[in-house]
Amino acid sequence: MTDTPAIHPTDPFEPEALNAAEGLDPVDPAYAQVLRVATALNLIPLAIGASVFDYLLIRHVEGPYGLITALAWLVAIVVIITFPSRRVSRWGYKIGEGQLRVARGWLFRTDTIVPFVRVQHIDVGQGPVERWFGLSHLIVHTSGTHNSTVTLPGLPADLAAAMRETIRRHIQTDFA
Amino acid sequence: MTEAAAVPTAPIIDEDANWQRLHPATLALAVVKLGPRSLNFLPAVAALGFTGNWVWIVPAILAFLLFSLVAAWLHWLRFRFLVGDDEIVIESGVLSRQHRTIPFDRIQDVSIEQGLVSRALGIAKVGFETGAGGKENDADLDAIALDAAQALRTTIRAHRSGEVVAAVAASDTPEAAPVAEDRLLFAMTPRQLLLAGLFNFSLAALAVVGAGMQFFDNLLPFKFNAFNPMDWVDVAEDYGLDQWLLAHRWVAGFGAALSLLFIGFASGIITMMFANWNFRLTREPRALRRTRGLTTRTDVAVPVRRVQAAILVTGWFRQRFGWHELRLQSLASDGEKERDHQVVPFAQLDAIDSVLAEVAIARPDADAAWQQSHRIIALGGLVGALGATIGGLVAASFGQALGWLGPVLGLLIGAASLFGVRFHRWTDLGEQVAIRRGFWKPKLTLLPHASVQSVDLKSDFILRPLGLATLVFGVPGGSSLASHEIPAIPIATARALRNRILTARARA
Repeated sequence: MTDTPAIHPTDPFEPEALNAAEGLDPVDPAYAQVLRVATALNLIPLAIGASVFDYLLIRHVEGPYGLITALAWLVAIVVIITFPSRRVSRWGYKIGEGQLRVARGWLFRTDTIVPFVRVQHIDVGQGPVERWFGLSHLIVHTSGTHNSTVTLPGLPADLAAAMRETIRRHIQTDFA
Repeated sequence: MTEAAAVPTAPIIDEDANWQRLHPATLALAVVKLGPRSLNFLPAVAALGFTGNWVWIVPAILAFLLFSLVAAWLHWLRFRFLVGDDEIVIESGVLSRQHRTIPFDRIQDVSIEQGLVSRALGIAKVGFETGAGGKENDADLDAIALDAAQALRTTIRAHRSGEVVAAVAASDTPEAAPVAEDRLLFAMTPRQLLLAGLFNFSLAALAVVGAGMQFFDNLLPFKFNAFNPMDWVDVAEDYGLDQWLLAHRWVAGFGAALSLLFIGFASGIITMMFANWNFRLTREPRALRRTRGLTTRTDVAVPVRRVQAAILVTGWFRQRFGWHELRLQSLASDGEKERDHQVVPFAQLDAIDSVLAEVAIARPDADAAWQQSHRIIALGGLVGALGATIGGLVAASFGQALGWLGPVLGLLIGAASLFGVRFHRWTDLGEQVAIRRGFWKPKLTLLPHASVQSVDLKSDFILRPLGLATLVFGVPGGSSLASHEIPAIPIATARALRNRILTARARA
């Protein structure tokens, strides 16, 4: 749990290199904490559920006591600690040349470009956890049915507002 | 409705007098609609019957009818609309009121639809397409008098064209003369419809009838299932034909095949006739207008400037005779089921070209340089085939004879996906991209660069090592399920194409 940009010398996929090679800016590393909290909120109830299940069931089958509980908590903790920073390092964005570029994912990587003139409207959102870490997410709406919303999370709140202003100046309504 | 407006009982404010109600015949329509809806009531009737409370059945049905009628009447009473100078206001809702204002500027398209009963009553349902996403965002008036509906549409169109008359003149100058009046672009004669219906051969209806027969098998007073060969043998036995039939089994087989063919052709022709009877596509100053339908007549206008892409669909067999179907993807959608507008149901390419010219989209020439997608796209089908094979073999190893269908199906799926790969092609025509796919139902998408709102460049752990990427285009209208994409092309090509497309100007 560090606030400095996480670097993974042992990561075979080298996500930093991935972003740099594609000319993308990384999102704020603090976004890893947001993701971590979100993941924890998802996984801890599951782990508790598994423990209860274990407690109720295993005494009936006289099976391996505590195995399911231990496994569930182990998996949950590993996922909560390691995955968010990896996922964050695979988000990348670039704003400029009249277009917004957002890339995400590695196993299934999607690299989206939205020209500013195609933007219908923009949202800047902030959830309670994001507020805690001073982050916002930017949602760009297009009129396309596919990609009708493009979300870019993990932006410092002031940067998100500045990006919104930049894009707003370019919005045209070519659909009267 | 108009009586109430014309003779105000109290000196009310002037604008109140302009409020209109739906046509009273709508109530009659509600009665007709009760028919299918009362099916919901069947279980209750059955329950009453089974519990022996026969006396209550008639009162229960009457109460249900009364309740539904009162509900329809209340709904009618609490629904009113106002056609203003540049907006339409709709107020609806019995308990929770909804007040909706739609400026004429925002109405992309006014559709008029008439079902069989509506036609008898002279009323029509008017739908307003606002281009906003989601069905619930589109308003409709269900239903008002047909002439009122047509007048309303004329009002809204006149408003729109009056406002942007300069833009129209600028964009439509190539055919400056006919701008003022409508001209027929495409129509279907009964003979053409018959031909189209023959190519529309489909056994889907058979499946429905078969399922229905299965379902009603127990309900029919006599034991006979048209899809059970044994029943036919039984009938034959009654007439002493069984010996002869068993000796000449080919007759039965031939008869079955013949009736299959007949049902397939008949259902094709009937569906084509019902949907496209008296099909007319006309060019209006700003839109393509389509009217069609035998029982339910629909009247839809596709504004030319809102056309985002053209899709040419054909079949492996009809393609040999040059028959194609043209659909236009527009901001406004075509009813609930279809996400694009069928503007030419069945025609030769030269007829389609003339319609395409109206929306400034061109088909690629015969000598266009098509590029193929990589063969890897067969992988999905092959994995499916493998799954089917393994599943089938496992089932077969447990002694389930049907399991042998698995490997057979797997082989078929695998062969089809390997074969189908060759039909994934694309070409860049400068101002538009053409994407072609499919063997069984070849589909050619013509996508102007200017319609593209966003571009995804996707790669994954399979495509990346091969240096490939998939381009997915965000285009207004259409469905998110059937997105426009060029799968598995070299990543450098994909990047270059993406840059070319995104620098295109908005469509004028």
